[in-house]
Formats: sequence, structure tokens, C-alpha cells
Amino acid sequence: MIPASSPSTASDKIVSVRDLKFTYEGGIQALKGINLDIRRGEYVAVVGGNGSGKTTLAKNINGLLRPTSGTVMVNGRSASDLTVAQLARVVGYAFQNPDHQLFCSSVVDEVRFGPQNMGFTQEDISTKVERAIEAMDLKGQRDQPPLSLTLGERRRVSIASVIAMTPEVFIVDEPTTGLDARETDDLMASIDRLNQEGRTVILITHDMNLVAKHARRVLVMSEGRIVLDSDPGGAFSDLELLLQSKLVPPPVVQLAHRLSGLGVSRETLSPGELVSRLMLGGGEAK
Amino acid sequence: MTGFIDLYTEADTFLHRMDPRVKIVAVLLVTILGLVLSSLYSLLVLLAFIFVMLFLARATFSRTVFALKFVIRFMVLIILLWPIFDPSGTPVLASLGPVKITEPAIWRGVTSAARVGCLATVWYILMFTTSQRDLVRALVKLGLRFDFGLALAISLRFLPTLSATIDSIKDAQRARGLELDKGGLLKRARNYVAVLVPTIVSALRTADTLSLALQSRAYGARADRTYLRDLRMRSADIAALVLLVAIFVVPTIAKYLFAAPL
Repeated sequence: MIPASSPSTASDKIVSVRDLKFTYEGGIQALKGINLDIRRGEYVAVVGGNGSGKTTLAKNINGLLRPTSGTVMVNGRSASDLTVAQLARVVGYAFQNPDHQLFCSSVVDEVRFGPQNMGFTQEDISTKVERAIEAMDLKGQRDQPPLSLTLGERRRVSIASVIAMTPEVFIVDEPTTGLDARETDDLMASIDRLNQEGRTVILITHDMNLVAKHARRVLVMSEGRIVLDSDPGGAFSDLELLLQSKLVPPPVVQLAHRLSGLGVSRETLSPGELVSRLMLGGGEAK
Repeated sequence: MTGFIDLYTEADTFLHRMDPRVKIVAVLLVTILGLVLSSLYSLLVLLAFIFVMLFLARATFSRTVFALKFVIRFMVLIILLWPIFDPSGTPVLASLGPVKITEPAIWRGVTSAARVGCLATVWYILMFTTSQRDLVRALVKLGLRFDFGLALAISLRFLPTLSATIDSIKDAQRARGLELDKGGLLKRARNYVAVLVPTIVSALRTADTLSLALQSRAYGARADRTYLRDLRMRSADIAALVLLVAIFVVPTIAKYLFAAPL
């Protein structure tokens, strides 16, 4: 496992948030002082119950919402100096509901829309679009109208349309809601690949299985605050805190907790890990 | 945004408690009276009466101005433009080529503005003191077909939802670098396609789901319906109705039968 806090210099911070507070027009304070640094290439899961402030935080990072107080720095520049369109070059944000953005008559046009807005050259756009389509496994659906596709495919299109803009940070909001296990695995494999290629991924979810399987750093949010910031193993070791944040860890983690008397580590994240730890009599397994 | 769509504000005043049917009839009568009266003084008296009602409904000044800001702009426009386009009467106060500004025309402008103010404010009071549910229920009780009433209630109910969907769609497209307010008129119109198409698709999907939900709750299974909360006229409602009919009838008779200068 890659440790969550490796030594860092100021320059590899791609997102840096200081004392961020945000209050909605109706008076609801959704963020109550967020401090956060995300380094280039990280794979961060933001988890928390509904209304904990996950999406509000994400929207403050890509400029759709502007802080009530505090600062957001993206790639070394203050987000408040940049328009949403300028920020979109650095921070891509795939919305939860793909139907809120699909409007073109073919997948390829849909994916092309973002890069065209960015003003890349035609050649550049074609390369980016083809790469995005390939990354999201949409070659077969290339010329189909997006709205005729299944929900899983529509979500891929919506994600492809964001990654085609080649942002350095990629925020995905609840990408697996309504997908079956197979669709979820396929989609998450594509997102993992983006991270392996060096993109910073911020995954907003309340599916703890996704967190255990994919993320390397977890931010637990509750009532507008980050209450825990650690690697997934560490995050799951504090059951009390998770429950307070309206979250339930995956069954394998709960089982590992019950078996901790037998010497099984509380930081066990997968069935394979659990088995090997039991076989080795609770010793450290790879 | 929702403040625009639903003006209703919960409070416990006699106007809020009044039977919505009485309120609808009252607003119609005052509307007709506003059209019947033609002298500035009588319209100002009516406006004063409406303002007293507004006060009794506990509408705050700032909310009223916010809700009626387009009407207020319209009234200012009437007062400014009327004298320019109505050259009749004397004395002439100023003239520039074919444009003559006369004193009676100025008063006619002010009178028309006062009338617009009366009509807008009285409808505002209805919307401010009556929930959409009560309004639709009253219309159905007054003879509107139930399906039309339901359609009306559903449209009103889904306006805020639709507005939230549109906001979310705009956000999603802005995150893809769409700049809605940039470029010439044609470019801007084209930009809005990216918002319009998902909006329509999402509205159609909602309508589809909604019709299934209605059917699964046996909508239309019987022609006659019963209601959990039925409307009933109380003595206060009847008194209010009588008073309002008097307020309508007395000046109307005085004007048309006795040629009173109202």
C-alpha cells in the first residue's frame, strides 16, 4: 500500500484549500472550514453521508461555487481569479446524473463538445476525443445517439466528455449509482487507469466498497467538515467515527474487526487479504 | 428562484384563513372594479384599501417590492410614456415637433398606472395568502374539472424542480467549458441548445415516471372523488363575501345609474 502522506514539496500540490467556508443562499452552511491539500497523481475518495458537503466542496474546487470565505488554489493559482471555463482545463468534473449534460446526436460529438470549448486545434481535438473514447471503452457506441444508450454507457460518455478536455484533476461524483456490479467494475477499472496514467482522481461516493478497492486516500466528511484524512485502512479502523458520519464499512472490514482478537489487522481491505492474514496466523501479508 | 414561482408565505392572518373561493371571487370583483373606476381619486382610494389588506396579510415591504418589481417598472414606464403618445387636451405644457405634452395626458398616465398597481397588488395578495394547493382545490370546487386542476397543481409543483434541474444542467455544461453569456446573439442562442436539450429530455422522463406513479395510485379509477380536507364556508367567510360584494356594487351602481364621477 502506498502511504497517504509521502513527503511533498509545495509545487506538486495541485489543489490546496484553506479555511474554506461556504454558505448557500438559503442560509445553510454546507462547509464549515475545510483545509486540504491534494498532490498531483493522488487517488482520493471523498466519503460522507448525504448532505455532508462532498459535492459542495467539489463545486468550490472547479469554480461552480465560490467560497463564502477562505481560499482555493488550483495548480498554484487562486481559483477566484479564474472563470469556470478556465478552471475546467485543470479540473474536470463529471456530474452525478449523465442526463444533465448529454445533448448531442452522437457519442463522438458529445465527447468533442468540451475540447471544442477549450479552443484546442482541430487535430488536437481529434486525438483527445479518440483517446477519451478508447479510455471509456466506447468505440462500439461511437456514432450512436447518447440518449439511446444504457445508464452505464451514458455515464461513460459523460466521463469521456470530461476527460477529453484532458484536465489534470478529475472529479467523479457518485459514478456508480444505479449501475450493476459488472458495470461498476468496468467503470472503476477505467477510472483506475486514468489515475495510473498520472491524473489526479477525486472520487465522491458513499459506496465504501469502492473506497476499499480503489482509493489510496480517504477524506471522511461530516456536517461540512473533514473529520478524517487517511489511507483506506486507517479510515476503516475507526468504526465509531464512520458510523457517526453515516457510513458503514464493507463487510470484509467489519469481519476483520470481529476477528481482530485472532490477530487479524483492523486495516484489512479485501477478502484476499483477510484469507492470507488468517492463513499466516495474523502475520503481515502482502 | 423559488420565491418567484411560489409567492405563498405561511402566516396566520384572517386573509390566510379565508376560504380560497371567497378570495378568488374577491380578487375578480376588485379586478373588475379597478376597470370600472376611471377617476384617479377613486382608484387611489381602492389602492389604499388594497394596501391596508396587504398590511393585514403581514406582507413585508421588501418582499412586496421584490415580487412586484416588474409591475413597478411597468407603472413608471406608463407614467413616462403616456403623455408622449397622448397629445389630446389642454393646457399644453410643452411641445417638440409633433410631440405635445398636455396636463390631462399626464393625469391619464398616472391614473392608468394606479389601475395597473391595483390589479397587480390584489392578485399578489391572493398568491401571497393562498397556497397553490388551496388555490387549485378552490378552482375545482368552483367547477374546474378535476384533471385540469390536477394538471395545474402538478405544473405549479414541478416548476421549482424544473428550475433546479436547469441550474444543475447549466452547471454541468459550464464544467465542460460552455460560456453561456459570451459571444453574439446567435452564438448565445446556440449555446443554449446545450441546456435546452437535456432540460426537455429530463422533463419528458419526469412526466413519464409521474404518469406511471399516478396510475399506480389508481388515478382515474372513479369519476367522483372524495377529499381528505374539504372546503367549508364559515360565517366569517360569508361576512367577507357580503362586504366585498357591497364594495363592488355600491360604486358601480353610483357610477352607471347616478353618473357619479368615479
